[in-house]
Amino acid sequence: MLAVPLSLVATELTDDEVRLQHDVRSFCDQELTPQSFTPGLGMMVGLSKAFSLKLAERGWIGMALPVAYGGSDASAVERFVVVEELLRRGAPLDQHWTADRQSGPVINRFGTDLQKERFLPGICRGELCFCIGMSEPDSGSDLASVKTRATKVDGGWRLTGTKIWTSNAMNADYTIALCRSDEAENHHQGLSQLIVDLHADGVSISPIPYIDGSADFAEVVFDGVFVADDLLLGARGDGWHQVTSELSFERAGPERWISPFLLVEAFLREHAASLGREAQSFLGRTLARWWALRQLSLSVARMIDDGLAPGVESAMGKDLGTEFEQSIVADLQRLVELEPSLADQSAFSHHLAQATLVAPGWAIRGGTNEILRGIIAKGLR
Amino acid sequence: MTDPLLIETADRVLSSVATFEAIEAAEAARWSPLIWDAVAEIGLPWISVPEASGGVGGTIADAIDVLVQAGRHAAPIPLAETGLLGGWLLTAGGIDVGDGPLSVVPGHLDDDLRLEGGRLFGTAHRVPWASSVERVAALLDGRIVVFSPAHGIITQVSNVAGEPRDTISFDDGQIEASVIAPEGVDAQALRLRGALSRAALMAGALGAMVDLTVRYTAERQQFGKPVGSFQAVQTLLVRVAEEAVLVDLAVQVAAREAERGGGHFEIASAKLLANEAARLATRAAHQAHGAMGATREYPLHLLSRRLWAWRAEYGDAFWPVHLGAAVLDRGPDELYRVIAEGSASGITL
Repeated sequence: MLAVPLSLVATELTDDEVRLQHDVRSFCDQELTPQSFTPGLGMMVGLSKAFSLKLAERGWIGMALPVAYGGSDASAVERFVVVEELLRRGAPLDQHWTADRQSGPVINRFGTDLQKERFLPGICRGELCFCIGMSEPDSGSDLASVKTRATKVDGGWRLTGTKIWTSNAMNADYTIALCRSDEAENHHQGLSQLIVDLHADGVSISPIPYIDGSADFAEVVFDGVFVADDLLLGARGDGWHQVTSELSFERAGPERWISPFLLVEAFLREHAASLGREAQSFLGRTLARWWALRQLSLSVARMIDDGLAPGVESAMGKDLGTEFEQSIVADLQRLVELEPSLADQSAFSHHLAQATLVAPGWAIRGGTNEILRGIIAKGLR
Repeated sequence: MTDPLLIETADRVLSSVATFEAIEAAEAARWSPLIWDAVAEIGLPWISVPEASGGVGGTIADAIDVLVQAGRHAAPIPLAETGLLGGWLLTAGGIDVGDGPLSVVPGHLDDDLRLEGGRLFGTAHRVPWASSVERVAALLDGRIVVFSPAHGIITQVSNVAGEPRDTISFDDGQIEASVIAPEGVDAQALRLRGALSRAALMAGALGAMVDLTVRYTAERQQFGKPVGSFQAVQTLLVRVAEEAVLVDLAVQVAAREAERGGGHFEIASAKLLANEAARLATRAAHQAHGAMGATREYPLHLLSRRLWAWRAEYGDAFWPVHLGAAVLDRGPDELYRVIAEGSASGITL
């Protein structure tokens, strides 16, 4: 037990949670056949509306949202169980990922009854696709410096500015844009969040080719887009508080340590047996840390369910988890003499090529590890 | 389940006796009656040893909680040897644990200690505090053997933390008892228990290292401000804390599973992670402390030297290969279950 206010309590799945895990497993065995999809590494790796609709039918989208709006008031651990199983299979989750993980919960927390009625049922049915609206050309880690401006007009707001590096914007119906609504001395004040219909006049979305050649990234430009008053999320000027709470606890989820799972599995299938002691040593170190990081992640989810605020522990989970993910890719490059290619039939070669390209992003999205370490250091004092 | 009162008691007693001066004195004298007596008086060494064998009862998890505290306070006494390791061996042999400190022959590659006609011959290495205990337990050829080090020749050896790890040699030495070891009490089981005990001590030392590093980087001023306000130094501090948290959690889960009668995967993982932390976190803590941390006047060395010493005890290079071989054996289809379920996935070490 640590004297600094940091001690995660060991936890494990209850019988009910194990039953849920088995249900999700059978569902995935049935729906995610090798012919039906191309597995990807981690989150934001593929979109299948049909798959999302089926998941929603089982009640596994918007789980944390209230029953009244189509959710199931499920716990953070239950959501952990579902997400873990889907991610480790590389399932196509883009249709609902952001809405399920961030937009839905933030609307539920800060939104009006009207907003909840309007958006949450569609999210829970897997029909509504959201994207994040935070980063801008000049505002990445320093998010409070956003320049997208909401000007008050009769009945609503005029929104002007540019959001950038937004995953999945081309497929999304809405974004929740962080914008400056008021001038303030402290730049954490005067920010607001608006729910913006991406099909509205004045919105233009252009793809930004991603490093692996995919069309996942986009730039979203708002040119005097009218956003009605009833789409202001939460209180005017409270955007910073809302956005930081949106980011804080979800950081240590399975998506932060599970990304290279299929790569390691393919390594085991294709190469490990012939490599002897070096491969064993890699597997031993990797599995020990993987197991422990999962325990940490699960423990954080349990803390959330117990009403605690594991902000520092979450940040640690993400920092440790993403560094671990990257180290796996580097270790495998050292172990296997191979020129990986996305064109190869071999799952290992394909995944290694993919991981080589996208691994740097793992420690950036959702808050760079450097920013997270600042948060952790502050929490330790 | 953890017993907060037990942890608090262990912490309180160790805080009062295992002071910087007392630990340094113990290193010079190779034994501290002061620290041992205070801890023995409240029964801490015999936690997890059944009352019927002369112990005080309690679970493995309780014993682990106490060892974490012992690690926090760098307590230089054979706590693990007396309870979790020696107490376990004696109990398994139906031998009373008595009321003094015990040591255990950990099993070294160069050992040739053996029984011939009920007498001891050969040498055992790295026997903790052999010069200070009256009884030593060993597993020799499928038997639990108890002997007094006084009947052998002791060569004083210390680990890098200055804790006695002596060599004992016998030539026709007398034993106290020799009993056939029951099923499940063998070199592998001892290695696992030993690894769990060291991982627990290391979890405690890492926790204390976080406290020390937080305090030092907040107090030490350079360029007119605390060194902890520099992002580069914060990164070091965070590294220490992250490793400490991960090892602490791994030890908790390993203790829980050991209490349930298994937990081989969890124990191996906890020790492996603690060993990695002894490299990563200790380097970071020393870097954050600058030259001060490299002196004997400042208490960081009480922790870092122990982490380096305990790292090497009960397996370092051994665990990744051993664990990895088991993973390979289990095969790709079971890989995820191993991550998620550990020993319960059926992986065997």
